[in-house]
Amino acid sequence: MFLALLGVHAALAGAAPLLARRLGRGVFLACGLAPLATVVAATARAPAILAGRPVVESLAWAPSVGVAIDLRVDGFALLMIALVSGIGTLIFGYAARYFGPRSDLGPFAGILLAFSGAMLGLVLADNLLLLYVCWELTSITSYMLIGFENEKGSARAAALQALLITSAGGLAMLGGFVLLGQAAGTYQISALLADPPSGALATAGVFLALLGAFTKSAQAPFHSWLPSAMIAPTPVSAYLHSATMVKAGVYLVARLAPAFALVAGWRPLLVGVGVATMLLGGYRALRQHDLKLVLAYGTISQLGFLITLLGAGTAEATLAGCLLLLAHGAFKATLFMVVGVVDHQAHTRDLRQLSGLGRRLPALAAVAAVAAASMAGLPPLLGFVGKEAAYESLLHGGLGVVGPIALVGIVAGSVLTFAYSARFLWGAFATKGAPADRGLVGCEVPRPAATFVMPAGLLAVVTVVFGLWPAGLDALVNAAAMALDPRVEVERLALWHGFSPALGLSALTVALGVAAFALRGRLERMQERLGGLPGSAEAYAGSLTGLNRIADRSTAIFQTGSLPTYLGVIAVLLVGLPATALIGRAPLASPTVLAESPVQLAVAAAIVGSAVALMFVRHRFSGVLVLGSIGYGVALLFVIQGAPDLALTQLLVETLSVVVFVLVLRHLPDRFSTPRLPGSQLARAAVAGFVGVSVASFALVAGGAVHGPSVAEQLLARSYTDGGGRNVVNVVLVDIRGIDTFGEITVLLTAALGISMLVLATRPPPSAAEEPRAEVGAGAPGHGVDR
Amino acid sequence: MNVLVPLPFVLGLGGAAVALLCHGRRKLQRAIALAVTSATVASSVALLVASDRQGHLVTQVGGWPAPFGITLVVDRFSAIMLVVSTAMILVVLVYAIGQLSVERERLYFHPVYLVLTAGVCLSFLTGDLFNLFVAFEVMLMASYVLLTLGGSSGQIRSGMTYLVINLLASTFFVVAVGLTYAATGTVNMAQLALRLGEVDPALRAALGLMFLVVFGVKAAIFPLFFWLPDAYPTAPAPVTALFAGLLTKVGVYAIIRSQTLLFGDLGRPSVLLLAIAGATMLVGVLGAIAQNDIKRILSFHIVSQIGYMILGLALFSLAGLAGAILYIVHHIVVKTTLFLVAGVVERMAGTASLTRLGGFSRMVPVLGILFLLPAFSLAGIPPFSGFVAKLALVQAGLESGRLLVIGVSLLVSLLTLFSMTKIWGGVFWGAPEPAALSEGPAGGRLRPPSLMTGATGAMAALSLVIAVFAEPLYGLSERAAADLLDRDSYTAAVLGEGGGDLLGEGGGEVVEPASPAAAVRGGDS
Repeated sequence: MFLALLGVHAALAGAAPLLARRLGRGVFLACGLAPLATVVAATARAPAILAGRPVVESLAWAPSVGVAIDLRVDGFALLMIALVSGIGTLIFGYAARYFGPRSDLGPFAGILLAFSGAMLGLVLADNLLLLYVCWELTSITSYMLIGFENEKGSARAAALQALLITSAGGLAMLGGFVLLGQAAGTYQISALLADPPSGALATAGVFLALLGAFTKSAQAPFHSWLPSAMIAPTPVSAYLHSATMVKAGVYLVARLAPAFALVAGWRPLLVGVGVATMLLGGYRALRQHDLKLVLAYGTISQLGFLITLLGAGTAEATLAGCLLLLAHGAFKATLFMVVGVVDHQAHTRDLRQLSGLGRRLPALAAVAAVAAASMAGLPPLLGFVGKEAAYESLLHGGLGVVGPIALVGIVAGSVLTFAYSARFLWGAFATKGAPADRGLVGCEVPRPAATFVMPAGLLAVVTVVFGLWPAGLDALVNAAAMALDPRVEVERLALWHGFSPALGLSALTVALGVAAFALRGRLERMQERLGGLPGSAEAYAGSLTGLNRIADRSTAIFQTGSLPTYLGVIAVLLVGLPATALIGRAPLASPTVLAESPVQLAVAAAIVGSAVALMFVRHRFSGVLVLGSIGYGVALLFVIQGAPDLALTQLLVETLSVVVFVLVLRHLPDRFSTPRLPGSQLARAAVAGFVGVSVASFALVAGGAVHGPSVAEQLLARSYTDGGGRNVVNVVLVDIRGIDTFGEITVLLTAALGISMLVLATRPPPSAAEEPRAEVGAGAPGHGVDR
Repeated sequence: MNVLVPLPFVLGLGGAAVALLCHGRRKLQRAIALAVTSATVASSVALLVASDRQGHLVTQVGGWPAPFGITLVVDRFSAIMLVVSTAMILVVLVYAIGQLSVERERLYFHPVYLVLTAGVCLSFLTGDLFNLFVAFEVMLMASYVLLTLGGSSGQIRSGMTYLVINLLASTFFVVAVGLTYAATGTVNMAQLALRLGEVDPALRAALGLMFLVVFGVKAAIFPLFFWLPDAYPTAPAPVTALFAGLLTKVGVYAIIRSQTLLFGDLGRPSVLLLAIAGATMLVGVLGAIAQNDIKRILSFHIVSQIGYMILGLALFSLAGLAGAILYIVHHIVVKTTLFLVAGVVERMAGTASLTRLGGFSRMVPVLGILFLLPAFSLAGIPPFSGFVAKLALVQAGLESGRLLVIGVSLLVSLLTLFSMTKIWGGVFWGAPEPAALSEGPAGGRLRPPSLMTGATGAMAALSLVIAVFAEPLYGLSERAAADLLDRDSYTAAVLGEGGGDLLGEGGGEVVEPASPAAAVRGGDS
C-alpha cells in the first residue's frame, strides 16, 4: 500500500504540469490528494503499527549493489508521516491560496509533490541506500524550489548553496553508509540497528553519516544555507525548511542513536553540536528584522535542540524528542504560514515596518500567538509539554559527563527561544507608533480570505488540543520512541507533573526570557556592535572562491594550449614510463647480431646523421629533402634485408611525400620561424634524443627476449601450401592479414574524401539560396554552429 | 566459425561504399545510413545475446587459424560495448539528419560516418593487436574528417592539434606493437596472453606501460587529456556528441582489454592506475569548473569520468571491473544526451556561452527536463543511471580498502554537481537570453527542432532504462567482468584447449628469428 502511495506521488507529480493547464492554481489541491491519501492509509494501518507490528513492503531494484525498495512503517515512521504528509496536506491547501495565477505553477506543484514523495520515502525506507536515494531527491527538489524565482541572482545563489552544502554531507553519508553496510553485511536498516557493527570502519561510517545529518539539519557550522533558503516562496519554507526536510538529519540521528550512542565520541559530538547550534540560532534570531529570518534562525535553534535530545540515546530523552518533533512541526509550520499571509497582504516582512497588524487581523494574530507561545514553551500548549519532558529527561541524567552541559545549554537556549518568540509576535502584530510615521504599514492591509488562514489555524488548534490533552498522543509518541529504542518504558504524557524541578526550570526559562525580550533593543544593538563573527556563510563563500581559483590555476597548468608542449609530454611519458620499469631490471639484450653487413651499419649511420642534421636546417625546402633522405635510407635497409616490394613501396611513399611537400611549400614562407627562446630548441632536441635512444634500447631488450618460435616461421612455411603464393609478404597482405590491408585502404580513401571535402568547403558555395533557414531566427544553421 | 561476428564491421564498411556510390543523392544516402546503422544495432544485440549464452564467439578471418591469421573475438564485454555504441551511433545519426545543413550533409557525411562506425566496431571485435591498430586508424581517420566537417578556420585549427597528437600516439602504437612482436613473436592477443607470461616481468611491465600511454592518449587520461577539451567543442553538434560519447571509450576499452588480458596482475590493485584514476577525475572536473561554455564544461567532464572507469579497472577485482563496465555504459548514453541537448540549445540560441544564455527552462521546458536528468545522472545523484554505476564503484573500492581514491571520487561527484548547476543556472535559469529568443511565438514558449529533440529524448529515455534495469545490467556487467578476469577461457576459445603449442607443430625448418619476413611483418601497409 505504501509502495503504491509513493507511486501515486510520483505519477501525480509528473502529471502536475498538465493538470495545471486545466486547473490553474487548483493544481495544488489536486496534488494535495496524494499526501492526504497517505494520511488516510496510515491512519487505517495505525492500530497494528501502534501495537508494535510494523508494516513491511518490498520491491527489488538492484539487490546486487544492495539497493532495494524496502519500506518499514513502524511507530516512528508513523510519527514522521504525520509531519510529512499531515502538514504536507495543509501546505498544499495553503499554496493554492498563496500564489496568484501564473503560468509556471504546474512544474512548481509537481516538484513540491515530488519532494513530499521523496520525504515520505526517506522516513519509510528500511534500506540505507534507499534512504540515501530519497535524501538526495529531497536535496534536488529543494534546489529547484528555492530557485523558483530564478530570475533573481540571489535565488539562484541560495539554491546552489543549499544544494552544495547538503550534497557534500550527503556524499560523505553515502560513503559512511557503504562502510556501515559492508561492516554489517547488510544494508537493511532494521537488521543493522538490531545488531550494530563495530570496528574502526563501522565507526568511521557512523561519523560520516552524521556529517550528512548535520548538513541536512543545518547544524553549526553548516547552517548558513538555511537562512539563505528563505528566499523561496513561503509554502516551501514552511514545508521543506521548517517542518520536514530539515528534520531528515534529526530523523537519521534518532534512528542511529540507540545503537551507536555508546560509540566513543558520539555523545560529546551530538550534544556539543546540538547545544552550540541551539544557542547560536537563538542568539542570531534576536537580531533579524525579516520575520522569515527570525523564524529561520529559530528553526536552526530548535533543530539543535532536537539533535541534542534524540542524539543523547537515552530512553527518556528519545521519548521527549519524539514529542518535541511533533510540537515543533506543528508550531513552526503555523508560524511560517502566518508570515506568508502577512507578506502576501502587507507586501513586507520587515518587523520595523509592520505596525498595527494585530488590530487589523485579530484572527491571524491569535493563530500566531498560539503557535509562538507553544514555541516559547508556555502552558497549556504542546510545546510546553515537550519542553517539560525534555527538562525532565535531562534532569534524570544517564548522559554521563555531558549531561549537565546539555541541561544548561538547553535551558539557556530555551530562554533565547522565549525571547525571539516574543519578539516575533511583537514584530509582526504590535502597534509601534502612528501609521504616518516612518512609512509603517499595517492598518490598511486587506484582510486575507478565510481559506488562506485556515491551514495555519488548523495546526494551531492541534497545538492547543494536544497541549490540553497530551494523553491523546500517548499511543503515537510511545510507539515512536519504542520503535527507536526498545528500552523505552511506556509513559503517560501529561500537562501537569506537579511541582517538579522541571517545572522550576520552566519558570526560570520564562522569567529570563521575559527579561531578554525586554532588553531586546539592547541585545540587538550589542550584536550589531560585535559584528558578525566570520561564520558559516563566509566559510561557504570563501571555499567557493577558493575552489574557482584552484580550478583556474590547475587548468592553466595542465591545459597550456601549446601543441609542442603536449607532444613533448606525450613523447616523454611514452618512453619514460616504460623506462622506469626497465632500468636496472631488464636483462640487457643478449648480444645477438647487431648488423648483418657493414653496409647496414653505414646506412644506419647515414640515417642517424640526417636526423641530427634536420635540427640545424633553416630552410623548409632543405628540411623536406633531408626528411626524404631518411626515408630513402630506410628503403635501402629493406633492400639489404631482401624485401624488394617493401623497399619499392617505401620509395614510392617517400617520393610522393616529397612532391606533395614541395607543392605545399609554395604557399609557406621560405624559412622556419625561429623559436623565440633558444632554450626551447635545445629542450626539443633533448626530448627527441631521449625518445630515440630509449626506443632503440627498448627494441634491443625486446628483441633479446624472444621465447618460443615466431608466427613468421609458420607464415613462411604455409605461404605456398595454404596461401598459394611464394611471396610471403604478398600472401600476408592480401590473404592472411587481408583485413588489415582492407582497413588501410579504407583509411586512404577516407583521407582522400576528407581532403576533397576541405577543399570544397573552403570554396564559396555555388549559390547561397540553397541554404535553408533555421527554425529559430538565429541565422543560417551552419554558421550558428560554427562559431 | 560464427558468421555473425564480423557483421557489425562488414555492414559499416559495405554501407559506406554504397553510400559513397550514391553521392549527391541525399535522401538515398540517409536511407542507406539509417538502414545500415539499424542493422548494425540488430547484429550487435544478436551478438550480445549469443555471447551471453555461449561465451566467447570466435571467427578466424579468411579461415587462417589463430595465431597466424586475424582473429575476431566477441565476449560479453565487447558485445556490451558494441550494443551501446551502435545504439548511440544510430540515435546521433537521426539527430544529425535533423541538424546538419544540406551543405555539410552533401559533403560525404554519410559514408565517413559509416566508416567511423566500422572502425569502432572492429576495435571491439578484434583479437589481434595489429588489427586493433588498423581499426583505430580507420576510426581516427574518419574522425579527423568529421571533426573538420564544414571546414571553418576554428575547426581546422583545433582539428590540427587533434590530428597531430593522435598521429604521434598512433606512431607509438605501431612501435609498441613492433616491440611486443619482437619480444613474443606474435600479435594474436590470445597467444600474447600466454607468451607474455613467459617473458621477463620487467619487460612485460614496460610493454604494458607503453600501451597504457598509447591508449591513454586516446582515452584522455591524466595527464594526456589536453587535446580533448580543445578539439571537441568546435565540431558540429552531432559530431561532438558522437566523439564525446564514444571515441574516448574505445580507448578505455583498449586499456581495459590490454591490461586485463595481457599485462595486469589480476586480483591485485594497481597503485599507478589508482593514482591516474584519482588525478584524472580531479583535474578533469577542476577544468570543467573553470569553463564558461557548455560544450567546454561537458568536454572536461568526459576527462573526469574517464577517471571513474580507470578506477574500476585499477582495482582488478570482479566488483571493480563490473562497476567500470556499468559506468561506461551509463556514461556513453548520458554524455551523448548532454551534448545533444547542448547542440539544441546552441542551434536555438546561436551560442553555447553561459554568459549569453538564460531562461531556457521557462522558454523550452522539455529541454530543461532533457538536460536535468542526465546532468544529475552524471553527478551520480540518485535515482538515475549514474548513481547505480557510481555506487557499484564506491562499494568495489571500499571493499578493496581504497579509502583515499573513493574519497576523491565522492568529492569529484560534488564538484561535478557544482559544474552541472553552473550550466543549469546559466542556461536554464535566469532572465531569458538572448532577448531575441523570448520574443518568439506562443507567449515565450518555443518549439525546439523536433527531430533533434526527439533523438535527444530517446537517448535520455535510454538512461532511465539503465537506471530501472540496473539489476540485470549489473548482472551482465558482472559476468562480463568475470570473463575479463578469466584469461584462460579467452585463450582457450581462440586457440583451442592447449592451443599455445600450435606454433611449434606442423613446422617447417626453424628459421632464425631475425629473418627478413619476420622483420617486416609488423610495419607494412
